[in-house]
Amino acid sequence: MSDSLKENFKDIILDSITDGVFCVNKEWKITFFNKAAERITSVSREDAIGRNCWEIFHASICEKDCALKRTIQTNQPVINKAIYIIDATGRRIPVSISTAVLRDDHGEVIGGIETFRDLSAEEELRKELAAKYSFADIIGRSPEMQRLFAILPRVADSDSTVLITGPSGTGKELVARAIHNLSARKDKPFIAVNCAALPDTLLESELFGYKAGAFTDARTDKPGRFALAEGGTIFLDEIGDISPAMQSKLLRVLQDKVYEPLGATESVRADVRILAATNKDIEKLVEKGIFREDLYYRINIVKLDLPPLHQRKEDIPLLIEHFVDKFNRLANKNIAGVSQEAMAILMDYDYPGNIRELENIIEHAFVLCSGSLIMPEHLPSHLRGIRGAARSIGEGGPMTLKALEAMHIADALRRHKGNRTAAAKELGINPSTLYRKMKSLHIDVPKRGRRSDKSTK
Amino acid sequence: MKIAIPVWNERVSPVFDVAEKILIADVESGIEKARSEYQLKSTNTAARATEIANLGIDVLICGAISRPLEAMITASGVGVIARVCGNVDEILRAYIAGRLLTSQRYLMPGCWRRGYQWRGRRRFGMLHKRNIRRT
Repeated sequence: MSDSLKENFKDIILDSITDGVFCVNKEWKITFFNKAAERITSVSREDAIGRNCWEIFHASICEKDCALKRTIQTNQPVINKAIYIIDATGRRIPVSISTAVLRDDHGEVIGGIETFRDLSAEEELRKELAAKYSFADIIGRSPEMQRLFAILPRVADSDSTVLITGPSGTGKELVARAIHNLSARKDKPFIAVNCAALPDTLLESELFGYKAGAFTDARTDKPGRFALAEGGTIFLDEIGDISPAMQSKLLRVLQDKVYEPLGATESVRADVRILAATNKDIEKLVEKGIFREDLYYRINIVKLDLPPLHQRKEDIPLLIEHFVDKFNRLANKNIAGVSQEAMAILMDYDYPGNIRELENIIEHAFVLCSGSLIMPEHLPSHLRGIRGAARSIGEGGPMTLKALEAMHIADALRRHKGNRTAAAKELGINPSTLYRKMKSLHIDVPKRGRRSDKSTK
Repeated sequence: MKIAIPVWNERVSPVFDVAEKILIADVESGIEKARSEYQLKSTNTAARATEIANLGIDVLICGAISRPLEAMITASGVGVIARVCGNVDEILRAYIAGRLLTSQRYLMPGCWRRGYQWRGRRRFGMLHKRNIRRT
């Protein structure tokens, strides 16, 4: 076999593997770059060959602890070292690298070879399991998000109580987790409590714990969420829904940093940072006397207001790209993105369920899409119906009575977040008539906000 | 105006997120008036963004930078020119002469898929762009 044929075989073999591979000569110039390396780094082979490796690979260890350099100097290979690289689009990609020395026929060192495996999918799964979201998971370039980015580091640095407000599905818990993970308390627990999900009596024992004998069946001491969050952060979601009695107990924790577990005779000191969130207009609740004014001022030291998605539509393409990346990794698919037509539909929609709804729409499209691009037919039908009807009106073209009816029904459902009874009432028809019409007009119910879903951005 | 460039072996550091040292140049009316080096102390994203903002930097010229860090720095009002590579002196001269953004030679190679926007604040009559789309 001739040398050129051997070389050709070697290239085909290296291009067919899923790990990235590159070789450097003794001057640290890239001499080989396989297909997987192009995919992972987003740099083409033509651009990479002949460049210094650090200008292409952008690894966290390039500057201080280059593995390839160490291997060439010590002749010791590095195996499966976990680092991260920054690709050409600014994404931080976790990779595992291995290195080896390259020698010529006479045993002279002529350079090195590095292989790297993309660990993004594993990282994504780990993140899903541990709900360990960071600042990097907050997506957006809109002015509203820029303002948030500007103050978030300082908010995280301080130990102040933070009130996060915004409609359902805007990512309040995500921001709370990001604040915790950026703060000095990041190695301590982050405990999230949905205050609205528990009745008052249960909420008290959940938050503060109880002592054995405090009530029937309380056989042993049970630590509360405050005790579990000791040294870390507690996130009180839906704080606008707690009762006046509970409000006064919380006020005490905020004021004096102490609380009493149920049945305890002594107070317990709490070293916990409190982050609170609500989708209600808490100032109105204060005005109406439903929410204690003194508690409001205690939790409202720093207020972060998350805008609804329709107020930052410029972020939609970025969010779509993020969710496409995410579901590609989770579903092991290779969808490149959304088509222009589908993007136009997605930009037109006003997302009453906010980012959570957008995520659900992309997930829906992933189930139906078997090609490489998400097309309009992969989107939920209530989106397509609205776009079609709106376009007909906008263009002044003919519009059937059926299309108009579909548009009105879809609109009403959207306004009521998929609540068919409420939508039927607004439309002045019986709910069963609405069901029948939805079926005949092929209208899907918009998905409702899922409070348990933690992956909203 | 204050221009900062992370330095490594007289070159622009490959990854700003983990860079250890920056060069800070004071430039007035196109002339470099003073130059100093600063050892970065921050080790995480938020602290690094705050550290750069607290140094009063107007423009950061750097190599690769992760999106969150870039977003935080630009949000604090510092202009970011990312994905720059080469000799630091040469880069600084090119920036002062207005050649940095118009020349391909200082750019790290890459796949410029996204539409980049003008970034940072308008200051001293200058606009700063995150990147230039390769044509």
